[in-house]
Amino acid sequence: MARTLFDKVWDSHTVVDGEGGPALLYVDRHLVHEVTSPQAFEGLRLAGRRVRRPDLTVATVDHNIPTTRRGLPIIDQTSRVQISTLESNCRQFGVTLFGMDSPHQGIVHVIGPQLGITLPGSTIVCGDSHTSTHGAFGAFALGIGTSEVEHVLATQTIWLEKPRPYLVTMDGRPGHMVTAKDLILYLIREIGTGGGAGHVFEYAGEAVRAMSMEQRMTICNMSIEGGARAGMVAPDDTTYGYLRGRRYVPDDFEDMVDVWRGTLHSDPGAKFAKSHTVRADAVAPQVSWGTNPGMTCDITESVPHPDEYSRGDPDRERGARRALEYMGLEPSTQMADIRVDRVFIGSCTNARLEDLVQAAEVAKLGRVADGVRAMVVPGSQTVKEEAEARGLHDVFIRAGFEWRNSGCSMCLGMNPDILEPGQRCASTSNRNFEGRQGAGGRTHLLSPAMAAAAALTGRLTDVREMA
Amino acid sequence: MTVDCPAGRAIKYERDNIDTDVIIPGQYLKIHDYSELATHAMEGMDPSFHSKGGSYIVAGRNFGCGSSREHAPIALAESGIRAVLALSFARIFYRNSVDGAFLLPIEIGPDAYSGISDGDDISVDIDGGTLTDHTTSKSYAIKPFPGIIRRIIDSGGLFGYDPE
Repeated sequence: MARTLFDKVWDSHTVVDGEGGPALLYVDRHLVHEVTSPQAFEGLRLAGRRVRRPDLTVATVDHNIPTTRRGLPIIDQTSRVQISTLESNCRQFGVTLFGMDSPHQGIVHVIGPQLGITLPGSTIVCGDSHTSTHGAFGAFALGIGTSEVEHVLATQTIWLEKPRPYLVTMDGRPGHMVTAKDLILYLIREIGTGGGAGHVFEYAGEAVRAMSMEQRMTICNMSIEGGARAGMVAPDDTTYGYLRGRRYVPDDFEDMVDVWRGTLHSDPGAKFAKSHTVRADAVAPQVSWGTNPGMTCDITESVPHPDEYSRGDPDRERGARRALEYMGLEPSTQMADIRVDRVFIGSCTNARLEDLVQAAEVAKLGRVADGVRAMVVPGSQTVKEEAEARGLHDVFIRAGFEWRNSGCSMCLGMNPDILEPGQRCASTSNRNFEGRQGAGGRTHLLSPAMAAAAALTGRLTDVREMA
Repeated sequence: MTVDCPAGRAIKYERDNIDTDVIIPGQYLKIHDYSELATHAMEGMDPSFHSKGGSYIVAGRNFGCGSSREHAPIALAESGIRAVLALSFARIFYRNSVDGAFLLPIEIGPDAYSGISDGDDISVDIDGGTLTDHTTSKSYAIKPFPGIIRRIIDSGGLFGYDPE
């Protein structure tokens, strides 16, 4: 029977077959960070259990850590405790940790692929919803909660109801300065934040094939914002080329590639429960205006009227009204007239080398506007090092951006990098929820190039007019 | 965890996409004391939530979207919430709620969503598949839990669950 890529990865990891119901799946890689793991390790201790496969478990610190100079003590006591707890848990249970002073430290979804821990056809879990990022390699990768983290630490398996496959085709080639971020925001705008609920996206089509791995990671990363359990891209030469020679890639990698080439794709005629097509060549640079990622429009458009956004649904209209109130925006305001106070280039969505290269191409055209504070936070210390080797830090610093150490930073408002109430931020992160970047903060999601453009002009800006 | 849902006050938010960042803002994810965590539940959209003494939340579609933080159902449960009654749930929140036996995520229909008002006294009969609004004396059907979810609930959470 013709199977989808997702079906194949699911089937090959089934320990107990649910026969249409839930199945027990084997987990190939378990990524761990400081925020969602303490209670899980504590649970193991209380039950007298060990980590079943420490060799398949890798930890780093990213959510809490300051992105200022390393080596200084962490002032926030609760953060310090959470970080030292992870350190002692990893020591006690024999788990590899890329800690504060490791050159491999970084956002968990940036370092997994970078170190070759993420492999095609594998199952990957992490106590973080953006684990969907790793699906860019043809893995089935999903975020789980702390109880499930404990279950995976103890058993290396997870109980799951089988999601249904959902084909997202991105046809054509995106235009000048239109990036993977624009395409995924556009998709979520079309299908809504719950559009993928109960499903796993498989991204296909000419635009996806032409994407680099870093761009594929950006779209898979935000699958969760479309409500999907995960997102996947069938691996190809781009995938294998990216992984070849990376630190944790297995010795028999080339043999595995031979197998993957023959299997890791959806068979012709495989059935998808749903499908949606995006015409990539018709997508303009996107920017969010509301308080969820589906509340997004073209940079050339204006803030919508709630009744126009509602499509006749009173709940959508109410949501839009409330969003505009929170965002401090009036309908009909041109998006390009909205002034920003802060610019954040970072996060597991858009803090890889290519993202920084794109932002730097724009940053070199000018200087950060008066009254705007802009920061660039590389996704990992390795990304930082690679960027510095290319002189990108000089470009950013000369233009007036702050150049930081890696971490989740201003994506989620739980470390020192936060917005003040009422501040408006052009952000390359993934969520524009109320208070996400700090209580009362207002977030506009966009691509790295668009964020850099906003930094230079002090307002949301169509980057195509600049570069 | 039992499936008992005795009469209690419903707090209604007529809103879709209530996300984990408003349920428990990121700055509080470092708190390990659950009773302290509870004082910040729903702070992102309703700072008075904790003092309302509600037993149930009634909400729209895609409740709990966003982060995988288990702190979200924990904060609600520690505030006294027995069940969230919503038109639909985001998947991770749904699983977190039952895996840790924190609260019951119950799917309701548009009739219950529009029929129940904020502050109404409600109870749920899980086995009977009904939700009763004692304030209006109306009853509504609820969606039954899928098999595995019900078994995890009856086992007191994921770690009590033994598939045989």
